[in-house]
Amino acid sequence: MLELVNLGIKSIFIENMVFAYFLGMCSYLAVSKKVDTAMGLGLAVTFVLTITVPVNWLLQEYVLREGALSWLLGAQAAEIDLTFLQAIMFIAVIASMVQLVEMIIEKVSPALYGSLGIFLPLIAVNCAILGSSMFMVQREMGLGESAVYGFSSGIGWLLAIIAIAAIRERLKYSDVPDAMKGLGITMVITGLMGMAFMSFMGIAL
Amino acid sequence: MKFLREKLDNIKPDFEKGGKFEKFHYLFEAVDTILYVPKEVTGSKGVQVKDANDLKRLMMTVVIALVPALLFGMYNVGYQHYAATGVTDASFGDMFIYGAIQVLPIVLVAYAVGGMVEGTFSVLRKHPLAEGFLVTGMLVPLCIPASIPLWQVAVAMIFAVVLGVEVFGGVGTNVLNVALTARAFLYFAYPTDISGNVWTSGIEGANLVEGFTGATPLAIANATPAGESVVATLEASSYGGINFGFMDMFLGFIPGSIGETSTLAILLGAILLIATGVASWRIMVGVFGGAYLTGLLLNALAVNAYMGMPAHYHLVIGGLAFGAVFMATDPVTAAHTTVGKWVYGILIGVLTVIIRVFNPAYPEGIMLAILLMNVFAPLIDHYVVESNKKMRLKRATV
Repeated sequence: MLELVNLGIKSIFIENMVFAYFLGMCSYLAVSKKVDTAMGLGLAVTFVLTITVPVNWLLQEYVLREGALSWLLGAQAAEIDLTFLQAIMFIAVIASMVQLVEMIIEKVSPALYGSLGIFLPLIAVNCAILGSSMFMVQREMGLGESAVYGFSSGIGWLLAIIAIAAIRERLKYSDVPDAMKGLGITMVITGLMGMAFMSFMGIAL
Repeated sequence: MKFLREKLDNIKPDFEKGGKFEKFHYLFEAVDTILYVPKEVTGSKGVQVKDANDLKRLMMTVVIALVPALLFGMYNVGYQHYAATGVTDASFGDMFIYGAIQVLPIVLVAYAVGGMVEGTFSVLRKHPLAEGFLVTGMLVPLCIPASIPLWQVAVAMIFAVVLGVEVFGGVGTNVLNVALTARAFLYFAYPTDISGNVWTSGIEGANLVEGFTGATPLAIANATPAGESVVATLEASSYGGINFGFMDMFLGFIPGSIGETSTLAILLGAILLIATGVASWRIMVGVFGGAYLTGLLLNALAVNAYMGMPAHYHLVIGGLAFGAVFMATDPVTAAHTTVGKWVYGILIGVLTVIIRVFNPAYPEGIMLAILLMNVFAPLIDHYVVESNKKMRLKRATV
């Protein structure tokens, strides 16, 4: 139990998707103009992550990895290795989950659906999400671990995007040089935020 | 002094619109308003301001509040130097002069470089010369060790003023505390010059006496072997007649960054800041309270020696007091709402102790804790404002 809590804290703060791995940057930069929209996208990403990482774990464990199919086909399947299908299978799971989220949001909150625009379907190619599934495989996690990992990575990403959205809302009062307006200044802020997040690097849990 | 005023008035037209030095208008204005109170007054109709307090006076108050820490820092640099080199008969004057020779160049470099960068930007971007660098130029030298190479001070000032402030449009618009940005830049770019055995200046070759470790109390506390008490280890590890007892650390006779060692001198500054209303007492109380309570909690859980360090030690050791009083209270980067200030302050205190105790990579946590909360301050404010709105809407519809 304590290990799961540690894993959660670690993937929210120490190995933050945005500030430690720079994953999921495109939607992080594009949808961080308002806190409420950012919150909506962050929740959507968290939801997708929480579902897809464990589902992908099941896929990996029972279909994709070497010898995984032996529960179905017996001993002769021990040599079947479908790992080369990993990326495409993971993406398929993610894309269908995103489709589901899209339908839910359109039904529940049309306003949020409108403000997220193209970036909602684009969650499907958000590298933070595929990245989490890949990390899950690479780090040889169990089912419980992968569920916690998916959820807390999402929370970490959510924290990052709402923090920068709040900063960008405050930036309305500043006088950024023309050449730096928009993405330029956002990149600078992200760098400075990354420096602040360095405070957690090195904590061994 | 009358001729100065006349001289300024004489050349003033050159700097006005259409004059030959029109470009340098804001530089002229900065000099003028530093020397004399501006003459412009509000007419009989319109909003009247009852106090002449402005950004310049606000900043100068902070600088004055920093003076005790600066003076004590100079003295302590000399004190540490003579203690480490084994000279026992150095007088107060010797120590102070040695310290001043070490510290003043750093302050001068910080002011000169900061001023030049600000000046350049104010001319190029045509905004009034901001007074922020008066405080930054003083804070940066006080939070770094006296043995720092001067060029690093210059590089850090340029980085902090350009990427920390000017890129956002000048004082009042920055996201992270400028002085801490400079320190964090140094910390990550030149780690060997700002951590480890650098805290006492002037220790080279032959001067190095046996038994001198140069470790700060924080480093010693961090490295306390299991099963031993931190307090005992601190008190046992003395050099040159310096002990690391609670009182020594409160008064500040310990190695450390120039201005951070003496909690007493910092508290003197804090009294001035609170009395004049320049800094928020809520943030200070929040930081100290958060750190103390986290310390108590860790004491109760104590599984290793460092966690068992008495909670009140956390308040005097390292740079917590300096950060809490002068850095966390920066009115621009702190939370702006009243509730937000409490949340912001307490979280800084909690995070500082957590980073100190649990992160072996950083013996000191206050710098990164403040930077991290600077990042989240706008978010805290956002939610405080939103919940206020909700509360008032509820009241309105009843």
